[in-house]
Amino acid sequence: MTTKYTKVNQETCIACGACGDVAPEIYGFDEEGIAYVILDDNLGNSEIPEALWDDMEDAYEECPSESIKIANQPFRTENN
Amino acid sequence: MENSKVMDMTIIGGGPVGMFGAFYAGMRNASVKIIESLPQLGGQLTALYPEKYIYDIAGYPKVSAKSLIENLDQQMNLFQDKLQICLGQSVQQVEKKNGIFIIQTDTETHYTKSIIITAGNGAFEPKKLPIDVMEYEKANHVHYYVNDMKRFSNKRVVVFGGGDSAVDWALMLEPIAKKVTLVHRRDKFRAHEHSLERLKKSNVELVTPYVPVVLEGEHSLEKVVLHEVKGSKTIELEADDVLVNYGFVSTLGPIKKWDLEINKNSIVVNSKLETNIEGIYAAGDICTYDGKINLIATGFGEVATAVSNAKVYVEPTSKVQPMHSTSLMSTKS
Repeated sequence: MTTKYTKVNQETCIACGACGDVAPEIYGFDEEGIAYVILDDNLGNSEIPEALWDDMEDAYEECPSESIKIANQPFRTENN
Repeated sequence: MENSKVMDMTIIGGGPVGMFGAFYAGMRNASVKIIESLPQLGGQLTALYPEKYIYDIAGYPKVSAKSLIENLDQQMNLFQDKLQICLGQSVQQVEKKNGIFIIQTDTETHYTKSIIITAGNGAFEPKKLPIDVMEYEKANHVHYYVNDMKRFSNKRVVVFGGGDSAVDWALMLEPIAKKVTLVHRRDKFRAHEHSLERLKKSNVELVTPYVPVVLEGEHSLEKVVLHEVKGSKTIELEADDVLVNYGFVSTLGPIKKWDLEINKNSIVVNSKLETNIEGIYAAGDICTYDGKINLIATGFGEVATAVSNAKVYVEPTSKVQPMHSTSLMSTKS
């Protein structure tokens, strides 16, 4: 069975707010407006429920700096 | 084109900071040109969030991104006799010869005495279709912008995307084109409710949840082949043109190779907003210095400083400190 995980590259995020607009259950913003994954504090190790996959794909497409990452396995925290 | 004219200042990036910079260049009696990669001014504000409200512009308790840009346009055009705007061009190379910078874009060559980079996060480029469409793109059947609506008159147009611009363009083209089909990979569109209501009432055909697989045609584009998402159905649509609205991606691109001092994708400037290359300044989100914060409000201040220092660089006898606008404008007819 496919699993999906997501993470925001906060080094390249430009705080435009697009991801949180289309996928508010997945992406939130810190006090500087930089996006992060709400479910796991941007560690990228929480499985994203299938019901949210379409929203996640929308966010991936909307992101103007290609900072949204999606993978089939959990992200390793040390190398983004 | 009169682009062989040597401008006093050339602003790279027509976002809010670049537009205010052009106004400020007018205030300083300098000729100025804006080079912008998109076919419109306004940068992120126009491309990404025109309807959103901004609350931290000095003097505006609340202003929509779109109306801020409209106001900046009006302000900038006070000096339109000294202003030239070049849209849809992205800068490639720069070199300095006999004190004049020669800027090469993908379509033209520009000459200027000084440069002010206000390129934000870099030039915006439309995201491409994830399939090979080179042949039809060259033949001008794959579009990422609509510059001329008439081009689509009586054509069968397939629009890809699920956001506001995809829906808006489908609606705009519907009365002109022979047929408009909107294809999105999910059933839900992320456009404004108002636009979606209009879409329902229109003759735009909706095809969801489908993604493009291949474009086909012998001499010209004839059809688009689509595949069902999470399904097995394949369908074909007759098409003369396709319009792709998959959003934008910004990149610093060729500017990185200009020998400017770069720190984490930003250009390092001193307190005059000058870069390590004499005559090149940077302001707004693209520049960095100790204590830098990225706000439109600070960008406006930075670009006024950059323009005033560029003015002295171009014309060493002038003063850095500008006149008050109240006294300057009273003398302008």
